[in-house]
Amino acid sequence: MIAYLVNLATLIAIFGIAATSLNLLIGYAGIFSIAHAMFFGIGAYVAAQVALTVSPDFLVAALAAAVVAGALSLCLALPALRVRGEYFVAASLGLQMMASTIFAEAHSLTGGVGGLVGIPPARILGFDVASPDAFLVLALACLAVTLAVVRTLMRGSFGRSLMALRDSESAAEAFGKDVRALKTLVVVVGCFFVGIAGALFAFHMAFVNVESFTLEQSVVLMAMVIIGGAGTLTGPLVGVIALLSLPAALSFLPFIPATEIGTVQQFIYGALMTALMIFRPSGIVGLSRGAR
Amino acid sequence: MLLTQLAVAGIQTGMLYALTAAGFALIFGATRVFHVAHGATFILAGYAFLEAVQLGLHWSLASGVALLLAVAFGLFMDALVYRPIQKHEGSFFTVFVASFGAGIAMQALIQFFFGGGFATISVPLTRAAEVLPGLYIAPVFWVALAVVVVVFAAVSLFLERTHAGLGLRALSENPELLRAYGLSARRLSALAFVLGSALAVPGAILTTVTTGIQPADSAHVMLVSLAATVVGGIGSIRGAALAGLFLGLVENLVVSVVDTQWSQAASFVVLFAFILFRPNGLMGRAGAR
Repeated sequence: MIAYLVNLATLIAIFGIAATSLNLLIGYAGIFSIAHAMFFGIGAYVAAQVALTVSPDFLVAALAAAVVAGALSLCLALPALRVRGEYFVAASLGLQMMASTIFAEAHSLTGGVGGLVGIPPARILGFDVASPDAFLVLALACLAVTLAVVRTLMRGSFGRSLMALRDSESAAEAFGKDVRALKTLVVVVGCFFVGIAGALFAFHMAFVNVESFTLEQSVVLMAMVIIGGAGTLTGPLVGVIALLSLPAALSFLPFIPATEIGTVQQFIYGALMTALMIFRPSGIVGLSRGAR
Repeated sequence: MLLTQLAVAGIQTGMLYALTAAGFALIFGATRVFHVAHGATFILAGYAFLEAVQLGLHWSLASGVALLLAVAFGLFMDALVYRPIQKHEGSFFTVFVASFGAGIAMQALIQFFFGGGFATISVPLTRAAEVLPGLYIAPVFWVALAVVVVVFAAVSLFLERTHAGLGLRALSENPELLRAYGLSARRLSALAFVLGSALAVPGAILTTVTTGIQPADSAHVMLVSLAATVVGGIGSIRGAALAGLFLGLVENLVVSVVDTQWSQAASFVVLFAFILFRPNGLMGRAGAR
């Protein structure tokens, strides 16, 4: 039971980072990306490759993962600069679908559908952090750093410029904000952090394959942000906890057959997303704070 | 001959994409709702047809059942999901997320009752015959062709010649003015959902009898409709249909160059390229974004 809870807490920390970074795009900058699992995956694959071939040091692997994810995020920044609204959603969908195919087919880089196996236990500067408890501490530390950085950034001029951009792009531009630079920067920062989450995920699972980085995962991440409350600091975390505890809670209900839990879970978060949009478009946390 | 065979397969897939995408484009054009639950309409119709046929209904009655359910789902989404949202906020993303969520929920529901695997029924129409040396065409190809031509003719006639069709086009251009002239925007948007959802039905039925249908098709159909609408030019039904046909062709023809696993990605490369270099699409109005 304790082991189960530690595992759940680690996953909450990892997805907490991912959802917080997606919230930067969706909640603060109004860039509605459905390609976030792609960068989560890039982070995980890069970390896995670094751990397998260079060094099992978490800091090295996570830094490499974050840098590569951040650099490749320019693929997402490009359409974000050119188009808005429906067009951007469509572009990010296209990107996500291409990425899923590449993850599944580029055998030399990603191991194909079989994935990369045997990722060595994480170490930091020679210390072993592979035990579940130590790894949980590491994940929580990463989450704390992410939250601190996001909080500082969003309170400062960068955050305010972003929110201005989200609410009215032309007004932000009229006030002399460099819209192109702001958008590119926020996409890079968001993808940098999800790269770290990917690295944590790779070490935690000791195994990565395409299953974890498909469109469904992107939708789950989006659901976490939206259900929790986009544009708030704690919202995405609330969403992550709610969605990750859901399967555990459902397994206690005796009348649902174990094989159908995944389906029931999908139904619940689908319906939850729709219901929230109808009744509380600002999400669970957004509700207590009133308008964002 | 391989190329011709692939082209024939591509045209068949493309025709079904064209119909489904036209439905999506019609709804989007008239109501500005990004109805991504359209994919769920598709699988709902497919499974309804399948279930009705297995219960012993004649195929025409079964098609009727599928049509009825698809239209009901479209109306349900319009009345109980989109309208309440548009009443209080109506930002593009809110509607999009709600639609996405409903699509996921519907897909899960179908998976719960019918399982996640392929379901199909075999009909004599799908047995391929050699038309030219080395070129096989199943009779269902001609059925699909006939259905597509008839449906498109009917839809264009409706949109161009009838009062309601004119109203639909007016709704997309200026809903305020429409209201000022005393037409009901509500009734017209319901009409758009009826027509748009109905357009997904032929594709769903023909897919069920040819390749078989599975719950995961919901996402695929949604993606293809969305891609076709963007590539065709948002707001243009004809453009969406053309782009649907084009995407079906691309998906099948690339198989001659790369492995089959890449064929779906090919359509998204096309989509991505269009968004970057020609965001107004094949037939979109300039500056429509």
